[in-house]
Amino acid sequence: MIEARSLSRSFEGRMAVEGVSFMVPAGRLGALLGPNGAGKTTTMRMLLGLLPPSGGAAEVAGVRLPASRDRAASLRARAGLLTETPGFYDRLTGAENLDFFGRLYRLPDPLRTQRIESWLKRLGLWEARDRSFGGYSKGMKQRLALIRAVFHEPEVIFLDEPTAGLDPAAAREVRDLIAALRREGRTILLCTHHLGEAQALADLIGILQRRLLAFGPLDTLTGAGAAVEIRLDRDPGAFLAASGAVPGVGAVTYDGFLLRVETQDPAAATPALVAALVAAGAGILEVRPVRASLEEIYLRAVESGE
Amino acid sequence: MSWPLLLLFCRKELRDLRSNRQVWPVYLILPVVAVLLPVILILVIPVMVDPVRAATDASVRMLVETVERDPSLAGATLAEQIARLVVREFGLWYLLMPVVLASGPAGLSIVREKEQRTLEPILATPLGDRELVWSKLAAALGPALLWTWTAAVAGYAVAALVTGVRIGIPIGPTAGNLVGLVFLGPALAAAAALGGIGVSARFTDSQSANLFTGLVVVPLTLIVLGLVGRPAMASAGTGFGAGVVVLGGCALLFRRALSWLRREELLTRWR
Repeated sequence: MIEARSLSRSFEGRMAVEGVSFMVPAGRLGALLGPNGAGKTTTMRMLLGLLPPSGGAAEVAGVRLPASRDRAASLRARAGLLTETPGFYDRLTGAENLDFFGRLYRLPDPLRTQRIESWLKRLGLWEARDRSFGGYSKGMKQRLALIRAVFHEPEVIFLDEPTAGLDPAAAREVRDLIAALRREGRTILLCTHHLGEAQALADLIGILQRRLLAFGPLDTLTGAGAAVEIRLDRDPGAFLAASGAVPGVGAVTYDGFLLRVETQDPAAATPALVAALVAAGAGILEVRPVRASLEEIYLRAVESGE
Repeated sequence: MSWPLLLLFCRKELRDLRSNRQVWPVYLILPVVAVLLPVILILVIPVMVDPVRAATDASVRMLVETVERDPSLAGATLAEQIARLVVREFGLWYLLMPVVLASGPAGLSIVREKEQRTLEPILATPLGDRELVWSKLAAALGPALLWTWTAAVAGYAVAALVTGVRIGIPIGPTAGNLVGLVFLGPALAAAAALGGIGVSARFTDSQSANLFTGLVVVPLTLIVLGLVGRPAMASAGTGFGAGVVVLGGCALLFRRALSWLRREELLTRWR
């Protein structure tokens, strides 16, 4: 589990992260969306115990933060990190790099060798294991970095912009791997500014811009901007009052014969809405629930956050 | 402190050195000088030093007076005295070598990790700050000492061979030379390396870190070497005492390097 409680961090008097609270339950994938400089990496570093928070607290894999040096080290042993840039030694081979980090994670010898072999094979890097890391393609480098983040079998995994700078094919490969890790039941926090990536992978999505502007399952987030569109057989102007009187309904507008009724919960509001319109004498040709896209929600949140 | 961890960083440094051709010249020149220069001096100086030249040449006279005044060289022929002096004094080279070889990698130890973007993944492992400084120290010292000791074995073997052939007596290292090689030299190198690691943790680019290490840390170490080196070569006890004092300085430098290695600053100061 990853839980942040009013987490804040300032640098030289400037707030980089302010009062961020959220929880990613065990076995779920949470994504933090936000523009560059929104505080995603800072939040991740605080949750990993690399940066002490200026305020607030957190609990990650059972370790409460801020923590003592020893507790922070034990958290780092139980967490995996994929940094935005792979961060390996160019002159060492792929296998040597993994062996080096495996030893830093205290993986004992036969197990370390087995894990390196099985992960390199799983991610299609086995044939390139004895090549210098400097000669790897960007996609290969990122796959190797992903192995480093997971091969010590951490309880929580932090992924910072895992597909940044990758071509579409390589980005797809990395996304497939993350999806596989999620299916295996690992607790993952993903920082990204790719909306599609968050939408495709995450159980919970947060929008961060210094403060956490929204957080929840995709359906809840997009439901916040939901509406029902009803096509009538006549001018909807005469039915605005009847529509607006239905419980759970927000603003009611129309364009031509199309009536648009905003509601937090289209599934609950639609039957009552249809009944009210029929009772008022309207002929209904079509009823369609409409959800806001993540992009709309994101842009709305970011604009309101500014 | 775990030995496997120290060996791990040492091994990585050795692998890195093996494939980094830029540092090869330094690693080749120092042992070549260590082997060739004393041999040349042993062969050439006794030929140049004769009573006629001593009467007219002030530097030759000074050399003759030096060997005659040294009680440890008393009773030997002039050629043997000079050969013993050369072998003994050349032990200073083996104090200098590890200082030079260790300070370079130490000065780059942290800043290069930042440049390669490997620092954050390392800091994200369970490795503690003390372990990181120890590891970086081992990575700087290990290859430097290995290389120095290999050069010393070769240098003293060749010197013994040449003196054996030239004057009939194979001359080996003195007790002071050996203490310098295995204790004072490594202590001085450790001091230079710790200074370099501290510098490396404070700078944000490798060029500045390298320059500062080369212009400040190494000269400071060499001043200490200049003060204690010659007496240490003449007396094992002096060498041992000087080594203990330098190790005390290393303990202070270790604390300083540790206080400069702030994870938070390393991650946020570097862009």
